Amino acid sequence: MRSLNFVHRVSLDFTGTMFPHAICLGDADNDSLNELIVGDTSGKLLVYKNDESKPWITRTCVGMLTCVAVGDVCNKGKNLVVAVGAEGWFHLFDLTAASGSKSDSSSQHEFLCHDDQKPFFTQHIPANTKVILISDIDGDGRCELVVGYTDRVVRAFRWEEPSDSSDGGSGQLVLLKKWLLEGQVDSLAVNPGPEGLPELMVSQPGCGYAILLCTWTQQDSTESEDDAPATPGSDGPSRDVVLHLTSGRIHNKNVSTHLIGSISKGSKEESSKCGLFALCTLDGTLKLMDSSEQLLWSVQVDHQLFALQKLDVTGDGRDEVVACAWDGQTYIIDHNRTVVRFQFDENVNAFCAGQYTCKEGKNSPCLVYVSFNQKIYIYWKVALERMESTNLLRVLEERPEFKSQLKVLGVDAEDSTAVRDLVADVLYQDAQT
Amino acid sequence: MLREAYPFVEDSFSRFPSQSNIYGLCQAGEQELLAATLKGKVVSFRYQELQQKVRPVAKEVQFTYIPVDAEIVSIDAFNKSSPKRGLVVGITFIKDSGDKATPFLNIYCDYEPGSEFNLESIAQSCLNLELQFTPFQLYHAEVQCPDEGLETVFLLSGHDQRIHLFKENASLHQFEEQPVEKLFPELQQLPSNVLWLDMVSVAVGRRLSAYGCQNGCVGLALVNQSGPEVLQSWRVQFDSPISTVLLFPLSCQTKSSEASGEKSEEVSGYNLVITSTIEMAVVYRDVQECGLARSTCLSGSDQWDAVLCALVIDLDFDGQKEVLLGTYGQELLCYKFRPAGSGRDGEFQLQWRRSFKSPLLSIIYLDLTGDGLRELAVLTLKGLHILQHSLACTADLVLQRLAHRVSALAACSELQPHEAADTEDSHAPAPIQGVTNQTPAC
Repeated sequence: MRSLNFVHRVSLDFTGTMFPHAICLGDADNDSLNELIVGDTSGKLLVYKNDESKPWITRTCVGMLTCVAVGDVCNKGKNLVVAVGAEGWFHLFDLTAASGSKSDSSSQHEFLCHDDQKPFFTQHIPANTKVILISDIDGDGRCELVVGYTDRVVRAFRWEEPSDSSDGGSGQLVLLKKWLLEGQVDSLAVNPGPEGLPELMVSQPGCGYAILLCTWTQQDSTESEDDAPATPGSDGPSRDVVLHLTSGRIHNKNVSTHLIGSISKGSKEESSKCGLFALCTLDGTLKLMDSSEQLLWSVQVDHQLFALQKLDVTGDGRDEVVACAWDGQTYIIDHNRTVVRFQFDENVNAFCAGQYTCKEGKNSPCLVYVSFNQKIYIYWKVALERMESTNLLRVLEERPEFKSQLKVLGVDAEDSTAVRDLVADVLYQDAQT
Repeated sequence: MLREAYPFVEDSFSRFPSQSNIYGLCQAGEQELLAATLKGKVVSFRYQELQQKVRPVAKEVQFTYIPVDAEIVSIDAFNKSSPKRGLVVGITFIKDSGDKATPFLNIYCDYEPGSEFNLESIAQSCLNLELQFTPFQLYHAEVQCPDEGLETVFLLSGHDQRIHLFKENASLHQFEEQPVEKLFPELQQLPSNVLWLDMVSVAVGRRLSAYGCQNGCVGLALVNQSGPEVLQSWRVQFDSPISTVLLFPLSCQTKSSEASGEKSEEVSGYNLVITSTIEMAVVYRDVQECGLARSTCLSGSDQWDAVLCALVIDLDFDGQKEVLLGTYGQELLCYKFRPAGSGRDGEFQLQWRRSFKSPLLSIIYLDLTGDGLRELAVLTLKGLHILQHSLACTADLVLQRLAHRVSALAACSELQPHEAADTEDSHAPAPIQGVTNQTPAC
């Protein structure tokens, strides 16, 4: 197994404690460059930008933040930052203006008592939140907010505003549906189904997953707006939850499982149909599947995987699966099951991977580790030329002119020793340039 | 800007179970490395082709007769001088059984025809020599023996202010210690414990030897191999222990014409790079002519703690060698020679530096992947990094130079169709010998 050592990193100060889902990368201020958003257990929302070790923006929320996300949750064509606390307080921040005012105020971080510090919207939703997702889950082209709860419930909300209101403020979250699941929900994901329609997937213990059906698309929406569909009396899943247990050796049926969907296959057309998703478990199983339930590969490792992300490290348009273990061992696996390992040298509190603008003023693939010693480490130079080791002769063989040049020079292309000697000679003896 | 010039991509990292030291890495055979770790484990590293894929393989080699409580000090390996065949591996270690620490030198070498280069079987045939001194660097050098022809021998420096020579006794099929002054008269009456030794054969029948000592003394000698006799020797005193001395040729901007392919003619002279643990690294220019008179500092090389290892290679393929320094401060520094301007001496300038995650102990440049392009192996406190040249850029360069050759060949064949083919053939093998001559010490 190929193993690498990334060295280019920046460390950010983070003094709090946090939940593993209270971290994400996204464009919080709509400048097309990504920021790092972290929420801590005291209700502080921190936004980090570039390689600054101090937060660019700090906001205060109510309660313990369990999950943060960035997305166009209000469907207004701009990203907002969502922070949800365990007690059920939902906060919405608009940081677009912050970037403008920030540049005026000589980049100090002390303006905490300003009016802008307040969230632009708060609402109380059911408590015990665990994980959130902002995505279009019903295929109507508009984003919904999906919230997973510690009590095995998933709720979907939609931002609705009265049609006559002019500017925000009067909108609110409206519950679309509630699903009750058999096991703990550790991740939420959206993945294109076999027909190309988005499917809402949640992970289930024991390397399983469930597809949650968005019944409001078929029925009258008024029916599903109350909590009726999952009747409290009928224990177990209702018809709107389709449970899938993946085959293979699962040692522990209750083992915590994570899931990531919509793994890019390279081109838009390919990715939009029969999407790829990956699963990982705390006992070290990793699987890549597509939405027709076909297993592409499965990898068993002896590290406790607790976070699963996707990231295109080779820059070929295809996402690699990135899984991180508590002890810092990180696996990057491509669609052909080529593995690259990286050992982060500390225990990991929370992990995420994605595009972030650290240095050089542009987004680059990054790995983000939250340690237990009040630091967040961002590895900002993790892009690889390729996943597999190779040598120069293989690279040269792909160049058409190489063969013809060998022919002219009278070197047999099949005679690898002669070709090797020629290459060595050309590189180390011809010093005309 | 400094970082952009850095031409390498890390291809693999192998973590070791325990730390190594500056004597812990050596080349064994053409495409293989051996790394020794403190707790008695030796790891071999190479690239394996399996199912059409190139894969890095780091595997522990079970060298026999290394007790569990042994701590390895140094490792070295060489191929026997022709006409003899076979790989010889030497490992020094200290066995600490509680009350008394005993140092040993184990020499591994297989005489069975067919398995002289098989590491697994070499590791099983051991000659165990107890030492009366604490060993330091284990080095090998090829030497002209009075009645036996060329022979490669082990040179082991110790804390007894001496260098010990171990030479194969052909009739007994084993190595034995012999007096060093018979073959290496320059290595007697040393001022202090030698921490690093380097030798290079220069013009016919001569060699340059350099050693750096614990007390900061550096000795350099020009020796006539037949005799042998010391023709000239120099000494210089530094303020701190010497971590590396390295002799290297540096070809100046004298454009070598393609036809006069002889390597030694384009070389302006041999230089000596000296790294010490506190001071800046120094290059003494043209030591064969000037001795230790013309020095130039590698400015800034003392900024990242002690320099522990050095290597001189041409890593941008321009025919001009660069000096690489590895520091305890976790930096790899690359210095490039800027030829003399009008009336000014040439100098070395820092071209780029790269950070690692732990202190650098040793560096070797060799072709691990078997494609003609060499890789940089960097041993750090935590393990072994293999840095590969960025392949896309290098492929472009190869194609460009091949195209240049093709056009030169076409131009040539228009004039003299027969001779062109001849020079191309005779050109190829000559430089390969040149390469082996230049890199006697790894």
